[in-house]
Amino acid sequence: MKAVKDSAAGSLESSDVLVTVIPSDGREVSLSVDSIVFKQYGARIRSVAEEMIDKSGLSGASVMIQDRGALECTLRARLETAIERSAAEK
Amino acid sequence: MTQTVLDAREDRWNRRKAVAAGLGKGWAVLSFTLRLPAFLRLKRRYESISELLFDDLLVFLGGKGIESSFREFAVHGDGPEGTCTVRANPLEVKKLCVEFEESHPWGAIADVDVMDREQNAVGRSLIGIQPRKCLVCVSPAAVCVAGRIHSEEEIKRQVDEILSSPPFFPSERIIRHISESAGTALLLEAAAAPKPGLVDPYSRGAHDDMDYFTFLASASALAPWWGVFARKGWNSQGKSPESLFPELRKAGLRAEKTMFAATRGINTHKGLIFSLGVLCAAAGLLAAEGRPLSAENCTSCGASIVKNIVEKDFSGIKQSSADAGSLTAGEKLYLTQKATGIRGEAEQGFPSVLHAGLPELLSGIQAGLSLNDAMINSLLSLMLSVEDTNILSRGGKEGEIYVRKTAKEALSAGGMVSEKGKEAVRKMDILFSEKKLSPGGSADLLAVTVYLYLLTQASG
Repeated sequence: MKAVKDSAAGSLESSDVLVTVIPSDGREVSLSVDSIVFKQYGARIRSVAEEMIDKSGLSGASVMIQDRGALECTLRARLETAIERSAAEK
Repeated sequence: MTQTVLDAREDRWNRRKAVAAGLGKGWAVLSFTLRLPAFLRLKRRYESISELLFDDLLVFLGGKGIESSFREFAVHGDGPEGTCTVRANPLEVKKLCVEFEESHPWGAIADVDVMDREQNAVGRSLIGIQPRKCLVCVSPAAVCVAGRIHSEEEIKRQVDEILSSPPFFPSERIIRHISESAGTALLLEAAAAPKPGLVDPYSRGAHDDMDYFTFLASASALAPWWGVFARKGWNSQGKSPESLFPELRKAGLRAEKTMFAATRGINTHKGLIFSLGVLCAAAGLLAAEGRPLSAENCTSCGASIVKNIVEKDFSGIKQSSADAGSLTAGEKLYLTQKATGIRGEAEQGFPSVLHAGLPELLSGIQAGLSLNDAMINSLLSLMLSVEDTNILSRGGKEGEIYVRKTAKEALSAGGMVSEKGKEAVRKMDILFSEKKLSPGGSADLLAVTVYLYLLTQASG
């Protein structure tokens, strides 16, 4: 599934996360994680994101995560929505 | 977290961004939510708590001189939320919001976000403040929330603990402040001396049917009424100020009854019930709208409450009733001299108070005069500009000219600042008392002046 357009899901409210997907050349997916709780949960956020990206088959995109202390279930839901929106034909 | 909640949050975020994008220069957008986990936040019980807190936030900001607009409170899929725009530097307003979160007894469960017109969220880090602490422990809140560190029972217990403390809502505090300012103003005005032709602790002035104690009894009986007027203003937020007046007049008539019962039928404060009633309601309304309680805001809001009152009250008066002798003194004066008295003064936004009484009081206090002496000077300057129907009905145009002439002389002799001025005031008192001239209209506006002074001294 190739990313075809810019998309975002979520918010920068506290205990939420804003996930932004931007299409890029090639098949690589780059991931950046910014979190106010990076020290405690940065590694976990990254592994959840990599797992979700793999599972979705997303390619050719850069994924940016701006986390404000979201629960893991919130992070998963926001990633899923952002990836769906980025690949959707319209 | 359910999809409904997630969608509602995203929707709120996008609405905020849209509001922020449309902001004028010097404005920011505030978003208020409850800092509670969804299992609590979505319960009905927290809706009214949230609305009270949001009201309090705006009163708090108004007290700090910050004007808010487009306020909206609603309950969506993510729970209760309040939004408004504020005219302030985003960093400054964020600092105040943090102060609210940390100083209000229930502030720990309030979450106030600020966004600037470039759609940037203005967080605590931008103003150099540590991240917010958890509701339950001393760790940063985000760490505990994201890691689900505390159990639901633990959080619930903590929230119940917070809500068990008396809230001391600023909304209650502000009503009390308005009411006390008015009540105290009546006492201070009555006690100020020497007041030419008027009742004070040492003289009955031009009156033989009342004395200082009559005024104390009246002020004391009226004290509970000012809060009633203020609350009516508070509750009318969102309606047109004009539509408030009929209700105020009804309450005013009941307050008059209280006064007459306390004075055994003597009219001490009838005019003042009208003016201060309107201005207490105006202050309540301003406070509810989160607007600063300045003298200018209060008087102009008061003017919009009594809009067109001269026309409404006087247009129906007929010469025939005057001949039949069924008119009040004020109505007769309007008919014969087009004098609009206190109604005209109020309708124009109390210009005598704003431009004569209050500046004179403030400059007196700044110059180091006692409150008593500053009040007497303020009274003198009011006499120069007020259309005083008490004087007109007893002394006619001649009386008015005489009052203004002597007040002007006393003021140019220095008023209460100089011995010569003080002597002039004492002489006025004797002469007014002899001639039965009682500048009651100016005295009422002195009480209004003192009220505005007290109100703006320590609002919020």
